[in-house]
Amino acid sequence: MENILSVLVFFPLIAALLGILVNEKSIRAYGISVATIEFVLSLWLWMSYDSANGGFQFIEFFPIASDFGINYYLGIDGISLFIVIMATMITLIGIVSLSITKNLKNLIISLLFLEVTMVGVFVSLDAIVFYLFWEFSLVPMLYIIGAWGGEKRVYAAVKFFLYTFTGSLVMLVGMLYVAYIYHSVSGVWSFALTDWYALVLPLSVQKWLFWAFFLGFAIKVPMFPFHTWLPYAHGQAPTVGSVILAAVLLKMGSYGFVRFSLPMFPDASVAYIVPVATIAIIMIIYTAMVAYAQSDMKQVIAYSSISHMGVIILGTFAMNAEGITGSIFQMLSHGIVSGALFLLVGVIYDRTHTKEMSQFGGLAAVMPKYALIYGIMLMASVGLPLTIGFIGEYLSLAGFFKISPIMTLLAGTSIILGAVYMLSLYKKTFFGPVTNEKNKTLTDLNSKELMGLVPLVAIVIWLGVYPKPVLVPIDNSVKALVSFMHEKAQTPEARAIIKVSKSTKEAK
Amino acid sequence: METLVYTALFAPLVSSLFAALFGMTPKRQFVGIVTSLLLFVSFVSSALLLDYVMEFGSIHVTMMDWIVAGDMSVPFGFNVDQVTAVMMTVVTLVSTVVHIYSNGYMEHDKGFNRFFSYLSAFVFSMMVLVMSDNFLGLFIGWEGVGVCSWLLIGFWYHKEDVGRDVNPSISPAWAANEAFIMNRIADLGMLVGIFLIYWNIGSLQYDVVFSHLDGLSHGMLVAIGIFLFIGAMGKSAQFPLHTWLADAMEGPTPVSALIHAATMVTAGVYLVIRANPLYDMIPEVGYFIAALGTFVAIFAASMALVNRDLKRIIAYSTLSQLGYMFAAAGLGAYWVALFHLAAHAFFKALLFLGAGNVMHAMHDELDIFKMGGLKKIMGWTYAYMGVASLALAGIWPLAGFYSKDTILEVAFNEHTYGIWFILWLTAGLTAFYSFRLVFLTFWSDSRYKEFGFHPHEVQKYVLWAMAPLAILAVVFGWYKDSFMEFVTRTLPLYEMSEHTHHMVGVLIAVTTLVAVGGIVVAYLMYSRRLKRNEKIEKSLPYRVLSNQYYIPIFYEKAFSKPYAELSDIAWKEIDMQVVDATVDGIAHLVEESGDGARGMQTGNLSDYLKWMAFGVIALAVLAVFVAMKS
Repeated sequence: MENILSVLVFFPLIAALLGILVNEKSIRAYGISVATIEFVLSLWLWMSYDSANGGFQFIEFFPIASDFGINYYLGIDGISLFIVIMATMITLIGIVSLSITKNLKNLIISLLFLEVTMVGVFVSLDAIVFYLFWEFSLVPMLYIIGAWGGEKRVYAAVKFFLYTFTGSLVMLVGMLYVAYIYHSVSGVWSFALTDWYALVLPLSVQKWLFWAFFLGFAIKVPMFPFHTWLPYAHGQAPTVGSVILAAVLLKMGSYGFVRFSLPMFPDASVAYIVPVATIAIIMIIYTAMVAYAQSDMKQVIAYSSISHMGVIILGTFAMNAEGITGSIFQMLSHGIVSGALFLLVGVIYDRTHTKEMSQFGGLAAVMPKYALIYGIMLMASVGLPLTIGFIGEYLSLAGFFKISPIMTLLAGTSIILGAVYMLSLYKKTFFGPVTNEKNKTLTDLNSKELMGLVPLVAIVIWLGVYPKPVLVPIDNSVKALVSFMHEKAQTPEARAIIKVSKSTKEAK
Repeated sequence: METLVYTALFAPLVSSLFAALFGMTPKRQFVGIVTSLLLFVSFVSSALLLDYVMEFGSIHVTMMDWIVAGDMSVPFGFNVDQVTAVMMTVVTLVSTVVHIYSNGYMEHDKGFNRFFSYLSAFVFSMMVLVMSDNFLGLFIGWEGVGVCSWLLIGFWYHKEDVGRDVNPSISPAWAANEAFIMNRIADLGMLVGIFLIYWNIGSLQYDVVFSHLDGLSHGMLVAIGIFLFIGAMGKSAQFPLHTWLADAMEGPTPVSALIHAATMVTAGVYLVIRANPLYDMIPEVGYFIAALGTFVAIFAASMALVNRDLKRIIAYSTLSQLGYMFAAAGLGAYWVALFHLAAHAFFKALLFLGAGNVMHAMHDELDIFKMGGLKKIMGWTYAYMGVASLALAGIWPLAGFYSKDTILEVAFNEHTYGIWFILWLTAGLTAFYSFRLVFLTFWSDSRYKEFGFHPHEVQKYVLWAMAPLAILAVVFGWYKDSFMEFVTRTLPLYEMSEHTHHMVGVLIAVTTLVAVGGIVVAYLMYSRRLKRNEKIEKSLPYRVLSNQYYIPIFYEKAFSKPYAELSDIAWKEIDMQVVDATVDGIAHLVEESGDGARGMQTGNLSDYLKWMAFGVIALAVLAVFVAMKS
């Protein structure tokens, strides 16, 4: 299959359109089948991927408006491969564990549309195509929050939409400017990322562009102080919305830094390590504290997401393969773990219609399976070795340690503060006597919920014990990226700080 | 031999997973039996490995890669040398005893199967900790034992939080979280140490790291030494990270015996012993470790003097003995530290298991003021605890005599007389509080009758299971010389000076004197009848000691509460009132200005013309302005 990437993008689109014809009764089975096929296709992609090659693979190129340099240009490398697989997997799990019955057909079709945009963002190598998928992803999510959300869903949905949209517009201006420079240098228009990579920009221009892209990515991640849309969105979104938002949509931002900012503006990226890392540290410490102050279980997880994204940003700006590989692995890990945690919050919300921790207590005795899986995800979230959560966090911090030991020490408080809010959540919810009479009759996880959660548990342990199959392809692409950045860097500082691994293979 | 290594390592894991299969079902007796057998298999493998290592030297196996990124490559590799073999044998021996013991102790517990799953998981983590051939592998075990400790301290999670005056540990769940978080603080230090090693040496393998230390500056070595030791301070509960250990007594007593006395808490000591090439190069850090250990020894002993809680007294004595081990390791006598570690594991586990028998008999009552006279009913337990206490007090010819006396000799030999004196004094205190416990529990008047208890001795097989520990608590010290010969094949040999050699007789005499003195004082005060002295109990020093120097309350007031309040402010005042309000404010501004601008859209053509004229003029002015500037 030469066009596997196109198939991955358009199969859910066609399926979503055909889904309109499917009747309400069989829509669930239909959604699961489509998502399963898509997931299997993405696994097939992994099987056919050449791990030793760090460059782009499965490239597809088809001119759309070649006069303007806009082309249908797709490709993946180790950096995007696993995020695509995670997106298809999380969509599948999200659909499998849906407990919503109201307008189920619309919801499943929206989810399939969302899948199109998510896969599209991570496989695009043309800035305009990337931007289109990036913006289109807002629409289904807006609809999901607005139609199936809680009481303040409209406010939350509009806030989510406008906020991220504003950031993206600034990024679009940045993209147009890069294209303009490319045109003035080469005489032709191009939005192809590979062309842009070759563009050597003066530091002053890099600095402006860095911030233009930064705003778009930072709001999406979301980075402090642009993060306040996230708690509202999570607070109001239905479970499946939160799962996909936390697991995949946030990664668009952190992926953007790796795909655009680092290779296009290596000198500016190095020059701005300190301000970006400062924001990352604020995210880690400050949002961990805010998470601790919450009384609503879902808000704890929402804020913890921001805190963990701080570690990812820090790893990205480590400017060495250890840190960047770690940060990409942490994106996957955070996707799996926070997705699972939001699913788990959904489980208890479906039963009790509350997320207030004060309403719980002693659930471990009533729902042991639930407590067990929650406990495993908790431990993964606080970065216990041999769970998926450790590898990425450890590598990100280890990588950034080369840049600044002091800042890493501050960021490292994440392992303490994370334990503080997660253990306190666990104690309030699962330990102590069962104080609420209603909770004494709660039923444990049912087979549908287990079907969604058990695979995630398996992945959490598998990739914690044996991350190599995922780590090596990522690492090879990252090493290529780092050595490319090193060659391209103009300022002596950047050349000194961007550290090429000794084990980097000669670029092909 | 590889098979033996893997059998020793993975039998506990298999055991844990097997028990986990029945984790949510009612008690199944075979779960206890199968896990105990698997642990015994692990012990036999460890013992065979010990024998192999004794004859042929260390074994190294690499199972597979774990983390490979950038230039970092960390495998699952295991190295069984003399030190590891000793640790493995001690850990699996005590674990096997504790598993068998738990069959009796947890007999009526609803979570019987779950308990064995956690307990075996702990042993697996501990084996990873001692067997790994690199620092990150050690860190896996390090965190793993932390989680198992969390699970086991909070085993009776259903208990409610109560005030400190009712239960100083508040609740099992609270104590579990405290232990985990406090260990995490230390673990951050350890991670920083690991990062320093990686970026300065480029590897985390012990052999590579220790052979490249010469290339590092002294300052860097000191930094690495300090950060690794911070990690050790958490696991081994050294001041100021010590409060969790006493609270950890909320866990079932077999857990206290295995984790919070014999094995996990000695992990910090193990780390210092393992990193001996590093600490040998930075004697000033070693001296600091020794000084801190000495302080903890007397600090913990002082709290044990007045406590009435059977388990807490033993917990403080554990803390105190860990101080002794650090004193020895810090002064460069690594093999002595390891010797005391092993000896302590045997007699302290025995002491705790004995305390478990007493608790069992007394329906979970822990207040020794409510006991007394139990030796008539619980003869075996009395004998065991008596032996363990004599060993702990350092009375000839029991194990503690040999190990503790050697530590004192080392302190004397190093001319650190302050350390020697404090450790000597602590030896007296140790003897006193140990026998205060023994006399108040087993001798004196049978106070339990007033409280309506009907004590009884535990099952025969439980008593039999404890026998190996009792035997070792007696005889282990006799093998001091062969132990030294064996472990110093890896560890540096520690030679006493000529001067110390001459003084050994005197040193032994004064130490024994103070130990016997402690016992005699305890005998005089507590062996007949419990006489309570209201005046002393109300005095300031007594209250300071019984409230653990008010440190837990200080931590709560200085750290936990302010952190919670600050978090609340961060959320309500900053996140909601400043950050989010600004965002909404900007949005409102846009909306209002748009609303205001709507006034322009009147639909009246002449109005539009007016605005157009205004716009043209504005543009013209701007153009002129720009032209003038350029």
